Amino acid sequence: MDFLTEFPEMERQNLRDLKQGIDAGFRGFSREYGELLENFFEPLLWFLVWLQKLLIAAPWPLIILIICALAWFGSRSVKIVTGCALSFLVIGYFGMWEDTMSTLAIISVATIVCIATGIPLGILMARSNRAQALITPALDVMQTIPAFVYLIPVVMLLGIGKVPGLIAVCIYAIPPIVRLTNLGIRLVDKDALEAADAFGANYRQKLFGVQIPLALPNIFAGVNQTIMMALSMVVIASMIGVAGLGLPVLRSISNQYLALGLMNGLAIVALAIIFDRVSQKYGDRLQKHRKGIHHD
Amino acid sequence: MNKMTQRIAIGLALLFGANTAMAECGSIQIADMNWPTASLMAEVDRFILEQGYGCEVEVVAGSTVPTFTSMNEKGKPDLAPEQWTNSVGAPLKKAMAEGRLFALNTAPITGLGEGWWIPPATAKKHPELKTVQDVLKRPDLFPYAEDKSKGAFVTCPAGWGCQLVNANLFRAFEMEKKGWVLVDPGSAAGLDGSMTKAVERGENWFGYYWSPTTLLAKHGMVGLDFGVPFVGRKAWDECIALSEQECADPQQSAWTESEVFTVASADFTKRAGDDGVDYIKARVYPADVMNSMLVYMADNQAEPADAAMEFLRAHGDVWKSWVSAGVAAKITNAIN
Repeated sequence: MDFLTEFPEMERQNLRDLKQGIDAGFRGFSREYGELLENFFEPLLWFLVWLQKLLIAAPWPLIILIICALAWFGSRSVKIVTGCALSFLVIGYFGMWEDTMSTLAIISVATIVCIATGIPLGILMARSNRAQALITPALDVMQTIPAFVYLIPVVMLLGIGKVPGLIAVCIYAIPPIVRLTNLGIRLVDKDALEAADAFGANYRQKLFGVQIPLALPNIFAGVNQTIMMALSMVVIASMIGVAGLGLPVLRSISNQYLALGLMNGLAIVALAIIFDRVSQKYGDRLQKHRKGIHHD
Repeated sequence: MNKMTQRIAIGLALLFGANTAMAECGSIQIADMNWPTASLMAEVDRFILEQGYGCEVEVVAGSTVPTFTSMNEKGKPDLAPEQWTNSVGAPLKKAMAEGRLFALNTAPITGLGEGWWIPPATAKKHPELKTVQDVLKRPDLFPYAEDKSKGAFVTCPAGWGCQLVNANLFRAFEMEKKGWVLVDPGSAAGLDGSMTKAVERGENWFGYYWSPTTLLAKHGMVGLDFGVPFVGRKAWDECIALSEQECADPQQSAWTESEVFTVASADFTKRAGDDGVDYIKARVYPADVMNSMLVYMADNQAEPADAAMEFLRAHGDVWKSWVSAGVAAKITNAIN
């Protein structure tokens, strides 16, 4: 009867030993390889610091101009460009310029890192069903595991600061780009591939000439989602010492500073909306182009 | 035979004077705060009051502000073993003046407080680093990851009161000019992680923390003398503890002494009687004993109640001085 009512759980002592063993193992790993990992990420840190300093040191009208130019290039929409300029002016006016630049730096680098590693992973997944079977559960874990669970090991390995923050952001933000690259390539018309085969295209030509261009709208939806998720991690990343808009939000949480929290929170939202609209419009335009070809 | 027992009972009662308390004590609520030292103290108090003074004790969970509010408004729980007063200062003073709450013990743990710390390995390697002033001369020993030419001073997580204090002391000691950066760890987990990582790796670390805490005890962190005296209550409260805008010219100062009280309700002082009150007054945990208990709790992931037993068994020399010989005998019986 006991067996049915009491779950046959592991003996307490053994469970404790197991947990302590895992902790000790990780500590050993951190002592052994932490330094090495830190050195490995050193260039990334250097780049992040450089970009942040550059963004903060550059004259603000120039930054706004560049951002508006990028927005125009992406969206070709006067409405979005005006909104973009206005929100950055308001952000600066309310004294959040430096924090916003810090956040912009880390989000841009995080997005680049995610795209640079996510798209090849997505292509690999699309190529091989076995890779897909292996990577999909890993992506599920990355998206759902509470951030605090991996923040602590990351801090133990790399300390606090930008690089561990960037890694935490990327863990959470990379799944959409991987998934959507995979999906986009898998959804490419069989007919199109057949035609490419008929023309005698080799694997490389098929991938870069047919599959990726046709999957671009999906890939762009992935980039868009990745940026959004990276922005939503700004506050979490600040919990391990990443400077930026997240820190004032944390400060306002522990002190119930309503206005401070609201302003910085809205600044994050403004960044998110700008990124989202611009990348979405860009994706739409890619799609329109493709539709155009179909109609012709 | 019956008469004999009675006589012995009366004799014992006269001898220890505890039976009267047993009759009066009744039920008492002790507040268990959500950190290890307070939990341990609550469990030790429970055991000693139950076994030594015949109280019926219930331990209720809580944390600094909610528990204090409840004590202040409702007079329950009856006893808060480790009440940090910095966040409840004014209402506590008022309640004490009105005779509703009593600070029975104004220093239940010695060596307690906030300050700036370095790892033991750093202190050993650089014995010249005795005071904060000594450390401030050597930013090169504590390089900041994002700018190696600067030294990193890890401050309080964003939004904590101590963040303002550290920022003002940072200015008072002219640390920026001396090549230091104020690093915000973002959260308690970030602060803990940055210290633990440095200690585990044998790296240098310089930052803020408070004692008694498991982390400081486990790593044997070395608290630094500030090399300057405490600037005084007025200058602290009206400048250093405020935000940068409100403190134009911060003075160099050591960290203020933290006030931690054992707070009891009026009800407690009546029920537990003079003996119980005397016990609480005498009950002072030496810093090293508390630290060793914190390490014990962390290493064994011990429940507070188990840790209390361990404390009573291993540190008889400490707690026996808190109680009368008779009560000590009862407790010794109960733990064996």
